[in-house]
Amino acid sequence: MFDLLGYLLKQGKATQPGLFPDLDEAARGMPKLAVDKPCQGKSCNACADICPTNAISVFEGQGKGAQVDLDLGACIGCGLCIDTCPTELFTRDTSTRSAVSCRSMLTNSNSTPARTASAMPSKSKIFRRSLAVRVVSTGCSACDLEIGAASNPIFDMERFGISIVASPRMADALLVTGPVGKGMHEALRRTYGAMAEPRIVIACGSCAISGGVHQNGYAGANGLGAILPVDVFIPGCPPHPWSIIHGLFVAMGRE
Amino acid sequence: MIPTIKEVAPEQLDSTLRSWLTEEGHRLGLITSIDGRQIITLLLNKRDASSSILWSRLDNNEYQSLTPGTPQAHWFERAIHDLFGLIPIGHPRLKPAVINEAFSNGLASLAQDIDSTVTSRPSGPDFSYLHVEGEGIFELPVGPVHAGIIEPGHFRLSCLGESVVNLEIRLGFLHRGIEKRLTQIPWTKARFIAEAAASDTAAANALAHAIAIESLLEVEIPARAQYFRTLALEIERLAMHIADIGGMAVDLGNLAVAAAASRLRGQSLRLADLLAGSRFLRGFVAPGGVTRDPENFLPQLKAINAELSRELTPLLDYFLSNPSVYERLRGVGSLSTSLAKEFGVIGVAGRASNIDYDARTIFPHATFPKNAPKPVLDSQGDALSRILVRAGEIASSLNLIDGALDNLPSGSTKCTMPSELPANKTGLGIVEAFRGELIHLVVTDESGKINRYAIKDPSVNNWTGLAIAARNNVIADFPVCNKSFSLAYSGHDL
Repeated sequence: MFDLLGYLLKQGKATQPGLFPDLDEAARGMPKLAVDKPCQGKSCNACADICPTNAISVFEGQGKGAQVDLDLGACIGCGLCIDTCPTELFTRDTSTRSAVSCRSMLTNSNSTPARTASAMPSKSKIFRRSLAVRVVSTGCSACDLEIGAASNPIFDMERFGISIVASPRMADALLVTGPVGKGMHEALRRTYGAMAEPRIVIACGSCAISGGVHQNGYAGANGLGAILPVDVFIPGCPPHPWSIIHGLFVAMGRE
Repeated sequence: MIPTIKEVAPEQLDSTLRSWLTEEGHRLGLITSIDGRQIITLLLNKRDASSSILWSRLDNNEYQSLTPGTPQAHWFERAIHDLFGLIPIGHPRLKPAVINEAFSNGLASLAQDIDSTVTSRPSGPDFSYLHVEGEGIFELPVGPVHAGIIEPGHFRLSCLGESVVNLEIRLGFLHRGIEKRLTQIPWTKARFIAEAAASDTAAANALAHAIAIESLLEVEIPARAQYFRTLALEIERLAMHIADIGGMAVDLGNLAVAAAASRLRGQSLRLADLLAGSRFLRGFVAPGGVTRDPENFLPQLKAINAELSRELTPLLDYFLSNPSVYERLRGVGSLSTSLAKEFGVIGVAGRASNIDYDARTIFPHATFPKNAPKPVLDSQGDALSRILVRAGEIASSLNLIDGALDNLPSGSTKCTMPSELPANKTGLGIVEAFRGELIHLVVTDESGKINRYAIKDPSVNNWTGLAIAARNNVIADFPVCNKSFSLAYSGHDL
């Protein structure tokens, strides 16, 4: 046992200093639209054609060129648009402050400046210092593993008063991962119903927001919004643990 | 790999399959259908790394069940019933496998009649549970939503006092219609759905998908890309084996080891990030090679791998030499070699029950079988054995990563790919994922469009292993028994 203690002491402090550091150069991250780059419009359409989840729409526009919308709620961060665009309209977004409290804020457009996350209205006030979270998975386990990682010594979200709890009865927030196929609708409704008010619903990952790669299949896996009112959206496939913590901060009214 | 196809009459299928499996080195890959008008049975020969498909045309939606003669067929036949509405006559317990009550509308989602419309299942699925009767027997339902952060599934434990008499596993909560979606979208975009079948296995799923597509197109993959694929596969194995051992430490209350393991798992995800730009190796392996050349990050990869090697070895030692860990796990959840063989149990659970099968030593994928490590085997078949096998594989993965980084050939990382798939062809990808043998099977129609995409996750074979292993154990041992198998729900439910 003393050997193990010695080993642990030698490891030193693993926790990352600072909050929400940017992703480093190795990570692909999510794409974002540059406001100062031109777009060749519908005649090119390369980004929309190559996108595996139809997250990109190109519109004919006036003035500087066509308007391009990028829906980060459907984006899985494959990076193909960044590689494909001939005019470098798409760039890497290295920010981990990616969660938002409104679905429409996930749509990034080249005609408007980038959005910033905003705090939620009233009900978030009482969760400022402590948030008990119930996680329900309906997907492929990558998001689940990243939520698990957010509690590890590197990210250590418990230091912010966030705890993962084993029952919806104890929970303030319902954190849902996966595309919410109809096989999980009943279980989710019951979990939500067992929570005391006020309660917050958080969609974690592009699947939970829009169905991601699974959207429009026969299993009805089109995201959480179809069955529950969602308060916070955390884009990514899967979101980085810092982005998940950011989403919980948005829910607590701290961001 | 392209399997050879043999026509077999449905009435002869049972005897053909049984006699095939009596020979040493023969294995049942999977049983499924294309559109509900045939049964296809994939046979694997481990001795010469060959594969063949028994193709049995059906005149109606009934056929003689294979399960009474070949017990490991039971799960496949239940899935065939769910997805195609076919009825295996004489199946001992035809309950749903990949769907739950929400899908009980009678739609057989993958079956098509001649007009390509979906047909309905002739009989509604039977969702009843097996009831154990007798004085003092009680049922304990667990799930689908579990206490921890894991995927959903339902366990129905019938207990007599502390002892588990029967465990019934009900899955299908995560059914997302992946196999159907893979036939609906252009094949060039299919890899993103294929790897989302189970994202903890993203690299292996992407690789099996790539190999299946490449075998249809008969393209040659550059050597450098093959080494990167080996790196991706082994980094995934390393990360998930550390996660599983750390998870076991949590369940045993050994929080010091759990905390250290989760930190080291973070380091292994750093390897993935450097290699692929994604902590889960998403979007890295693609048909034709790999999508990026992480040339600038190779020295960092090498350094972090060496650091992991240094730190993991003593940690695993502390954990596995701890008498309370030994006492807690030895003899828990035993699975005998004969039962493991009969039910086709594979991967970590199979090797812990002395089944000498690691697809890396047989079927070509990435740089394997050339530099495949010797399979790590154990003969006890209990929870401790499964942890020991994982620990052994962590060591071999660290070595493989180091070796692949040292011997990385130069050159390109992808080859040019044709834009169309050939017509009427069947392609197969077999990969040793961290849980075990993973199979992707692609069948194209006369226009070169994918008309059937079948995925066989290693968990499909191993869930039965868990149901057997949990029997006659005390209820308090079920969590560690379940953890020691560490099976996928999403890869199973698709």
